[in-house]
Amino acid sequence: MPSNRADVVVIGGGISGLSTAYHLARVGKDVVVVEKGIVGAEASGRNGGMISERTDEPDLVPLAVESVRLWPTLDDELGYPTEFVQKGRLQVAVSEAEMGRYLTECEVGERFGVHVDVLDPGEIRDLVPCVTDRNLGGIFFPKGAHANPQRSVQAFAWAFQDKGGKLYQHTAVKGFKQAGGRVTAVETTTGDIEADTVVCAAGPQTALMLELVGVRVPLATARAEIIATAPLEPLFEMALVGNGLYGRQAKKGNLLYGGGPHEWIDVDLTGDPGKPNTPLIRNIARRLADLFPGVADVPAIRSWAGVIEQAPDSLPIIDILDRPSNFVFVSASAHGFAIAAATGKVVSELVLHGESSVEISGLRMDRFGDVAPNWREELGWVPIPR
Amino acid sequence: METKSLVVVGAGVAGTAAAIEAAQSGVQVTLIDENPISASMMGLDVPQFFGKRVADTLSDKESMLQRMTAANPALDEAAAAGVDVQLGTCVWGAFRNTETSRKLDGPQLGLADDKQSWVIKYDRLIVAAGSRDLVISFAGSNLAGAMGANGAHALLSRYQASTSRRMVILGSGNVGLHTAKMARANGIEVVAIVDVFPSVRGDGSLMKELQQEGVDFYTSHTLKEAVGSEDGIESVVLVAVNEDNEPVSGSEKTIAADTVCLAIGLVPNIELLSLLDCDISFKSELGGYVPDHDDCMRTSLEGVYVAGDVAGLHDGMVLNPEIARNQGRLAGIGAAESLGAIDSGEARARRAEIRAEAAARPAAVHLVWNQWLQSLVNVGGMDVLACECEEVSRAELIDLQPPRYLNWRSEQMSSRNVRTQVKDGPVDPDQVRRLTRVGMGQCQGRRCREQVSLLLAAESGTDLAKVPFMSYRPPVRPLPLSVMWPHDETDEMRENWVKWFIPVSRVLG
Repeated sequence: MPSNRADVVVIGGGISGLSTAYHLARVGKDVVVVEKGIVGAEASGRNGGMISERTDEPDLVPLAVESVRLWPTLDDELGYPTEFVQKGRLQVAVSEAEMGRYLTECEVGERFGVHVDVLDPGEIRDLVPCVTDRNLGGIFFPKGAHANPQRSVQAFAWAFQDKGGKLYQHTAVKGFKQAGGRVTAVETTTGDIEADTVVCAAGPQTALMLELVGVRVPLATARAEIIATAPLEPLFEMALVGNGLYGRQAKKGNLLYGGGPHEWIDVDLTGDPGKPNTPLIRNIARRLADLFPGVADVPAIRSWAGVIEQAPDSLPIIDILDRPSNFVFVSASAHGFAIAAATGKVVSELVLHGESSVEISGLRMDRFGDVAPNWREELGWVPIPR
Repeated sequence: METKSLVVVGAGVAGTAAAIEAAQSGVQVTLIDENPISASMMGLDVPQFFGKRVADTLSDKESMLQRMTAANPALDEAAAAGVDVQLGTCVWGAFRNTETSRKLDGPQLGLADDKQSWVIKYDRLIVAAGSRDLVISFAGSNLAGAMGANGAHALLSRYQASTSRRMVILGSGNVGLHTAKMARANGIEVVAIVDVFPSVRGDGSLMKELQQEGVDFYTSHTLKEAVGSEDGIESVVLVAVNEDNEPVSGSEKTIAADTVCLAIGLVPNIELLSLLDCDISFKSELGGYVPDHDDCMRTSLEGVYVAGDVAGLHDGMVLNPEIARNQGRLAGIGAAESLGAIDSGEARARRAEIRAEAAARPAAVHLVWNQWLQSLVNVGGMDVLACECEEVSRAELIDLQPPRYLNWRSEQMSSRNVRTQVKDGPVDPDQVRRLTRVGMGQCQGRRCREQVSLLLAAESGTDLAKVPFMSYRPPVRPLPLSVMWPHDETDEMRENWVKWFIPVSRVLG
């Protein structure tokens, strides 16, 4: 019989929600996580597993840096393996313009005290001999890392339970009971749960959840794709971005790479959005073989897709609503996995103290001001009509 | 992109019959089959469990093509009827628009030969992709010479390229008996037919025929282990089992053999239907998860039909190819009718002719599969690998152990397993796969997924029918990047490529 009361109800068993729930349970809060499917079923378990200091996004840097600081000790702290590897992040340029952009990232890094190395083509080849001769140099973040998304989500979920947290899978949120400018209970498909505070970490469903409490937040959802090759001998250990792709070589040896045009879609509140692959996986294969010419004859053995929500500036939103006032939410705009180690810390601080020890003021909702009702149309972020 | 009026996938009995029926109705038919497949694919045991008893002659594609047409004379008939027969071409992907994927201008198939891949559109699709072998592992099942009955059939008939000399067959249903007959006809000595059941399960007259020829039957027996060297299996140890599938001590018997052929069960090849998200249901009497279809072989998807083993198969179909042929004809008639090539009266008349054939009454198979699993677990233990590609033992599977290469030990991890996991919700093979890596290897889970489901069901106390289907993802054949990639990539694709939500043009600008 599910519990019908909790100090905090966290909506969403993705990595943001579970990291938050873990941090709250750790300090003795009575926490329930409700998840419409199973943990990590959406983007948290389906992303590329990249972790970095994000000097391409200045407002995100403090949170990303804190996450990079916390990730390395997570395995021991949680008691379960995340497959974390901290061997840096290499960004290979295949055009002069791309190299120029990378140099800007270096400047931002300097401003925030993030160390970035600029590498010439020869240095890149020394580091990763299998990289294309077309490489024009690149940049290297020594603290960049990657981990296994599925394993990491499960690690947080199990560690949360080990701290006494309650996880209700296959439990979808249908609505909220409110009184006096606060949420009093979360209505789920298996019954109501009273809560002092609600944390919404509902990924693609975030905008729909907020609509239920009368708040509009500009988020659009998209489907993106990744391919996996058969296992190879070790080629490189760092996260490696280039040729329009992002990815890594998993510990088992498979190359896991994604990129390319995503497709804007609509989701509903309780369903499991379809995650089909499309012939785009052929184009990803081509770019992958362009980036690493020596692997052209290695078989692709799998592909998958994921659904992510995006704010207009592609940055996370982390905030406390004015009304209902006991409603905290986090939406990651596809940065969720990278920042996960710090998300729980920051969001739990918002729940407990109303403010965060990490600088996240640039990630609040007020940055959007009054968003035009047709903002998705303006950005071209709309689904293709049926 | 080319649009085909009707594509039939699989040139076995059902697919060929479907193609001929539709072609004779005036439909332009493309009949595609991945055979002959390359030797490298066979080495990966894709799509069948060939067991590395493959003769070197397989590298000669021309002679393989000749052998294939010789093994299936109906292919000539199809060609004569005007069917465009494309052999040596695999279908590795199936794509269509859905609520969350709307960019395609029609349903498409990803095709490939040894050198390149391409994508075609279709108006109607008949999937007649056959079946593959149920594999339950045993000590020594990683040795060369352990194979499945479908793999053995392909090597014996289609390729005439088997190097087996002395074969032990596990399973005395019609699949096992038929394999024994075929093996003997090809000069292979069948030294034992083994069944965990107390009696032979297959056709009585076929059993007598084999007994008279001197084939030994070992009922109430199971395989303890296959023993061998780098060259493969050299002998097997059989052991008698009691009614609880426990080994009877002292009953071990060692038999010299170089091949163990698993003929325990067959599983419909529903990869493409899974990619298309056709409705599927678990039907034990038809081999597990099968596509829902009506009497006219229509699936839940408009314009998509199934025929033969892929639609669900039972022991009766093994000895009576008429059943698959009739299903093929029905699918061909359905496709021809829906394309307007024949009118509904004509279609009805032709169907009536076919339906007059007697219907079979298949029995559920999973009790049998489970009995095999139990006996093989009882004699072989839990340290036998359930997934060879990723080296996951049965014990590691049900303990949800992280893969060996992570070398992870913790008190917390030791307290987690399938039994604790089901407290949080129904057992989910996809979740188990991601945690243990079972089924994530080069064979794409073809050799392990049924055993995994059986083990998960047993361990979690779940009815097997309630264990969710383990999804397939494209490419459903291991495809070299250089084959999979589009040689005709458009400039538009190149220019609009985005790295991560920001168009490359904006990044570069």
